[in-house]
Amino acid sequence: MIAAAEPVQRPPDAKLLVVSRGGSVRHWPRTDFARLLRPGDLIVANDAATLPASLSGIHLPSRRPVEVRLAARDSLDEIRRFHAVIFGGGDFHVRTEDRIPPPRLAARDGLQLGPLQAVIEQVLDHERLAVIRFPGSPRDIWEGLALHGRPIQYSHVQKPLALWDSWTSIASVPAAFEPPSAGFLLDWNLLDGLAAGRIRFCTITHSAGISSTGDAELDARLPFDEPYRISAASALAIGQTRAGGGRIIAIGTTVVRALEHAAAIGNGVVAAGDGLATNRIQAASRVQVVDALVSGTHEPQTSHYELLRAFVEDETLRRMDQELNTHNYRAHEFGDSVFVEGQRTAAA
Amino acid sequence: MSSTTLSSDAGLGALRVAVTGGTSGLGLALLEELHNKRAKVAFVARTRRNVENVSRLYPASLGIVGDVSQEQDIYPIAMQLLGGLGGVDVLVNGASDLGPVPLALLGDTECEDLERALNTNVLGPFRLTKAILGSLSASAREGRGGLVVNVSSDAAVNAYPHWGAYGASKAALLHLSRIWNEELSPMGVQVLSFDPGNMDTPLHAAAVPDADRAQLKRPETAARELVGLIATSLAKVVK
Repeated sequence: MIAAAEPVQRPPDAKLLVVSRGGSVRHWPRTDFARLLRPGDLIVANDAATLPASLSGIHLPSRRPVEVRLAARDSLDEIRRFHAVIFGGGDFHVRTEDRIPPPRLAARDGLQLGPLQAVIEQVLDHERLAVIRFPGSPRDIWEGLALHGRPIQYSHVQKPLALWDSWTSIASVPAAFEPPSAGFLLDWNLLDGLAAGRIRFCTITHSAGISSTGDAELDARLPFDEPYRISAASALAIGQTRAGGGRIIAIGTTVVRALEHAAAIGNGVVAAGDGLATNRIQAASRVQVVDALVSGTHEPQTSHYELLRAFVEDETLRRMDQELNTHNYRAHEFGDSVFVEGQRTAAA
Repeated sequence: MSSTTLSSDAGLGALRVAVTGGTSGLGLALLEELHNKRAKVAFVARTRRNVENVSRLYPASLGIVGDVSQEQDIYPIAMQLLGGLGGVDVLVNGASDLGPVPLALLGDTECEDLERALNTNVLGPFRLTKAILGSLSASAREGRGGLVVNVSSDAAVNAYPHWGAYGASKAALLHLSRIWNEELSPMGVQVLSFDPGNMDTPLHAAAVPDADRAQLKRPETAARELVGLIATSLAKVVK
């Protein structure tokens, strides 16, 4: 597959690979997505707005340039302490795996990131991974992020992204380190049409994490733990839909992670409240809540690929791979999409 | 989910309100009134010194420096509003530009002055509302209601000579608000217009320097009316 290189969320020729429960694999224009939905279905999307999580600056002890990418935090309300992946000088124009490592980092090292000061609290067990703390007030931190931070991006998109390129139409609380890009297919026209078709819509807020660190050992640890929040209204909608026999359709793998984590800790029930998703969805995982999933295209051997194995048989996945490649589907966040009905999930 | 009593006499406790043009005139009076009603408030204005001064007056409020007439400022403003407040339930677009000062006949109005009035009074509210629309609709889904109030004027409706740039831009905002309200009402988000009347404010003084200030409305009175509008509008949709 080729990478989608232009930051266009809804290109008119966007493709959707539709995989039904029976295993059939068909090609649809993505603009026809709503035709896949049935009365009684519930669409669940991630309304996290994307943080401008890339911060360039100087490692004060060495005076050498660094790029800090915020990558994880303990809760959606935490604004001072973050896990960060830190690179040496350079930026997204260089492929992540070719980036130079940061200068040697140590606890109490200061970082000057534009107007933001940060301190390394702890270097974790990898030269690129550290816990950093912003000592300022929440107001000053939000302002510093807003004025100096940039969306994390990768070399397949050479044009610098504006923050509005990385926010979905439904973006609400800034909580994602990279865009929950499965949600790029949503626009207000689509949402408008759902109510008419008796299809419900709700959101959760999930701190979508980074997709690549440039280092295979660190990449293997992704996804990091990700905080999420489920509102009372969304928990109610999910419960009512399940009770009524409707399908829960997740827009993006972050929604799958959050709902399945909530169900796992809630004895099968998705309750309202805050959680920290520590789960990894893989072939052996028991999917209790999500009946169908919309996501971006996937590459084999990625955590995304492994998640799909919880939904469909390997044979179906092989046919999907073949179709994605022979029909030139575009990859990555501005690329094409897949709609997958679970063959292996609890409701199947 | 606990309900919030929203009669105009009751508090607006925990409601998250963002106000643009918050360091002067109606915006500043609105801050005082919202503060009295115990709302969680963030305000936006262009001048850092003014934002800092007003933040000292209302330390519980969140002051954000930004210019809604500048496209590049909109998302940084939105991010600070959404991050600082945790979401926005009510947006009051109060930042306004008169166009040419002193006011001028349209034939004497510099194109750049009309453009600036359009950028501040129409494009700014449009862009900022779009940027936080996800949060407003989330608020509606959660039963708190989402609301945008766009500050209007009788100049939007009546053809007052010399008020061309301001009047035309406010007319555009008024009609935009009507259409957007039709579009969003099914999902519980309202877009309303509020004409505060002729108030004793720096904006009015710039427009009509020789006005008899004693005849002008107090901005505090208009602010109370605006908060009353917020309360009664949300009471229609709050679950």
